[in-house]
Amino acid sequence: MDRSYLVFFIPVLLVATAWMSFNGNAGEYVPVTEMNTQDTDAYHTMMSVISHPRCVNCHPNDNIPKRGMEGTPHPFGRDGETSDLSFDVLLCASCHKEENDDFAGQPGAPHWDLAPRSMAWEGLSKAEIAASMLNPKNNGNRSHEDILKHLTEDELVLWAFEPGLHPDGTPREKPPVSEDDFIAAVKIWFANGAVIPQE
Amino acid sequence: MVSYTLKVNGKERQISADEDTPLLWILRDELNLVGTKFGCGIGQCGACTVHINGQANRSCLLKAAALEGMEITTIEGLATDDTLHPVQEAWKEHDVPQCGYCQAGQIMTAASFLAENPAPSGDEIRQAMHGNICRCAAYNRIEKAVATAAKNG
Amino acid sequence: MIEERKKFTFSRRGFIRTSALAGGGILLGVNFLNACKESAQPPVNIANLNFKEFNAFIKIAENGYVTIFSPNPEIGQGVKTSMPMLIAEELDVPWEHVTVEQAGLDTENFTRQVAGGSQSIRHGWEPLRQTGAIAKQMLIQAAAARWEVEPYTCTASNGVITNQAGKQLGYGDVVNDAALLPVPENAVLKDPKDFKIIGKDAINVDVHKIVTGQPLYGLDYTAPGMKYASVLRPPAFGQTLKSFDASEAKKVGGVIDVLKFGDKVAVIANNTWAAMKGKHKLTAQWNDTTLESTEDHDAKLNAILNGSKFEVRREDGNVNSAFSEADSVIERTYESPFLPHNCMEPMNFYANVTAERIHLVGPIQTPAGTAKRIAHVLERDEKEIDLEMTRMGGGFGRRLYGDFAEEAALISNGAKLPIKVVFSREDDMAAGTYRPAIKYRIKAALKDGKVTAYHLKEAAINSNMYGLIPHFFPAGAIKNYKVETGNYQSNITTGAWRAPYTNFLAFAEQSFFDEIAKELAIDPVKLRMDLLDNVNDGEDERIEYSAARMKETIKLAAEKGNWGKAAENVYQGFAAYYSHNTHVAEVVDITLQNGFPKVEKVTVAVDCGIVVNPTGAINQVEGGVIDGIGHAMYGNFAFDNGKPKATNFDAYRLIRMNETPKVETYFVENNLSPTGLGEPGLPPAGGALANAITAATGKRMLTQPFIEHFNTDTREVRG
Repeated sequence: MDRSYLVFFIPVLLVATAWMSFNGNAGEYVPVTEMNTQDTDAYHTMMSVISHPRCVNCHPNDNIPKRGMEGTPHPFGRDGETSDLSFDVLLCASCHKEENDDFAGQPGAPHWDLAPRSMAWEGLSKAEIAASMLNPKNNGNRSHEDILKHLTEDELVLWAFEPGLHPDGTPREKPPVSEDDFIAAVKIWFANGAVIPQE
Repeated sequence: MVSYTLKVNGKERQISADEDTPLLWILRDELNLVGTKFGCGIGQCGACTVHINGQANRSCLLKAAALEGMEITTIEGLATDDTLHPVQEAWKEHDVPQCGYCQAGQIMTAASFLAENPAPSGDEIRQAMHGNICRCAAYNRIEKAVATAAKNG
Repeated sequence: MIEERKKFTFSRRGFIRTSALAGGGILLGVNFLNACKESAQPPVNIANLNFKEFNAFIKIAENGYVTIFSPNPEIGQGVKTSMPMLIAEELDVPWEHVTVEQAGLDTENFTRQVAGGSQSIRHGWEPLRQTGAIAKQMLIQAAAARWEVEPYTCTASNGVITNQAGKQLGYGDVVNDAALLPVPENAVLKDPKDFKIIGKDAINVDVHKIVTGQPLYGLDYTAPGMKYASVLRPPAFGQTLKSFDASEAKKVGGVIDVLKFGDKVAVIANNTWAAMKGKHKLTAQWNDTTLESTEDHDAKLNAILNGSKFEVRREDGNVNSAFSEADSVIERTYESPFLPHNCMEPMNFYANVTAERIHLVGPIQTPAGTAKRIAHVLERDEKEIDLEMTRMGGGFGRRLYGDFAEEAALISNGAKLPIKVVFSREDDMAAGTYRPAIKYRIKAALKDGKVTAYHLKEAAINSNMYGLIPHFFPAGAIKNYKVETGNYQSNITTGAWRAPYTNFLAFAEQSFFDEIAKELAIDPVKLRMDLLDNVNDGEDERIEYSAARMKETIKLAAEKGNWGKAAENVYQGFAAYYSHNTHVAEVVDITLQNGFPKVEKVTVAVDCGIVVNPTGAINQVEGGVIDGIGHAMYGNFAFDNGKPKATNFDAYRLIRMNETPKVETYFVENNLSPTGLGEPGLPPAGGALANAITAATGKRMLTQPFIEHFNTDTREVRG
């Protein structure tokens, strides 16, 4: 099958599905078509980070962590269906320490782990990621305040802005905006009701 | 250089090394425990696997400074007295090694895995052991040996 | 009736004997001087190696226990177990009474101390058994003399000599007498049906040391006063050292000295970590010469294939007229990348160069050649060199090249210290002698349902197929046949990589046969059998493979692998290949998981003659097959301005256990002389897998690695 055909249709289908599910569940977040520009900018700034491989690589949809800008599979995935976090035999934190090890080119931050299954973002659109992030069923029953705190204070999340060096000594790629801009955008977005614009 | 006391294979060992020295090189160069192998230095191959408090861990990424007070077990300390660990016995029974270089790390991973999951399925074995690379690809035999060790353990 | 094609002749001329052993006993050695035919070729043209001689020693102690010195380097191929088995069989001692020791390099008495080309067992078969048989004969003579009877009235078995009266003497009882006897002219070898050791499983002689972590490998070696060196080499092929600054490196605790040699800078330290950290702190400027990228190589190899400058390596009939008369013509181009060896034990070597002696210790597949090389660069006499071989954490061809040993010797010579050079994984992957990138263009003419012409062109980096490879199948099976080669000289270092050339050639040809079979609408296995029917074994001296043996091997694989009878959703691929004197056929079974191939099972049939050590043999076959699958599937090594794009296992993917198929190995049973197994299992694997993927997806895998043909996000075959 022609791949461009797939590329065109899959997102359309996904968005349509997402739209229906948002409307079909009372109390969840309904995408709106009109937002003020500041909110939209804040949302897009925030999502440019959250949908970046630095974040999505550890929110896989297939139990296999990814790495790099290409999202290539990283060995030692989640251990089948038996556990929700990392590989039983070898924890993520066995290698990923509290801080980056720039000699070995090993990224590190506190409590390094895969996101739980319910937080799988890989393959989702920005709106779907945002919706999933806000959905208490998927986010570990977190409130807006909890998520705001997680996004702006958690050292593992903020590691994305200090991702250290590759084993060959070259710097690991960073998200497109700075840490300060990201934090400011997250705060504005939540302050204004965490509305997800329609894509 | 800083002095440390590390508990390796049940014995207290005094070492002096730079704070950032990986456990791997302390074991190999300072304590002359060369059974733990250097393969990649970035945690990818598993040749340097040791147990920290019974849990399989990569010694190439563990800094000496963080290990005081922990129980470190290496391949040399896996057997008790003259009795080999069931995993070591199974490795002999199945004649697993080709070049043999990765096998200490494979055995340490398998021993830690079986302590947690004493009766694994074939798929669980393959999943649990996939963090260790065997360049000679003795994978079929490693799988069989882990299953045998589970049976005999 | 299958007959042996090639026999080695054996002469006792090279026998040596020493009775003046400390602690008594006998030391017997045999020189393999006449054991190899002139046609026996090394796997690659490595200058300064003497491949024509080959030998081993046995030592019998007064307690009857036997030590066999295994002369050949052990890289995981199992010769340290299987070669002594040959001696022990004919000496007729219990295998439990045998201790195996690795012999050091001894250019006077040992030669062809080489691990390469899967040739150790093949070349050792006659002479090693003769060694054992002659020693047994001498022990019988000594016992007979003591009993004052004729030797022929005595027999020996399991280390005990018995006479007609039923009296017995152990080998240890008569060994000192035996040592004084002249070496007999010849000794009778056993009938294979009487073998007690050959053909029975013998567990790897080093297994206990391996599973308990005892020192065995080069990296484990230590000596009094030894220092460690980490070497900064030009980061890109085509660069030379312009200048460097060692001031920060020298501040690292434990660093003793920094030494420039050639375009490299060594940091010498008290331990490995300090040496590696010190190297990290070096800064250097480099001069660029020609910096080549993968795109450049691609263009150069395409230009060769599209051009007309080739060396003809074999030509039968007239391919051009066959093409012009053909009903149809198929042409395909197959492409492979460079591949690093990635031995699990990174390159390392110990050297202590003093005014008197040069002591070298480490993992090396070519000890003699390396000693010669070091004598040459240090301008010293080779006789001043003592070289000890350690067990090797893999070889795969990388350790044929002694560059790392030369580095150790140069640094030790410069620093006047005993030095062990240790490569990091990044050093190992970036300073390789890679499997060269190669492209094959194959064209076949089909007429009246038959293959009437076959024309293969090879374009490779640096060097081309060697030895008798142009005469491998289908040479001899197709009337109009031509093999031509051309190469592009690159500054990227290349060399032998497990099953050199055939590791990719077999993939290309075995994929191509499937295309022919499809075009002719016949079963791919039948196509190969029909082609083999055209070959008359023995008709062409250059053709080493046996059509009869290959057909037996194919039949066995097809039968055991249920060829053509796959379960639902299981797709099969077939390949058969002769290399390194061994015939192999493989059936690969795959399934598709979300559109992505999962290799479930590989059924392998092997004709390697008599299987000396079945457990070791099966291990070699399983490893070779999975290695072949893994590299065909994932192996990719590209260059960007002379610099490798991957330098560690985060970016270079090796097959892991959860991606590994079950391998079932079957041996063709016969009493023919044994051949090697370190390499032959590998070449067919990639082709059989490619054919299975085509069966499953309809897509042809014309380039390696196959994973590049799949979109890893959607796990679909790329259109």
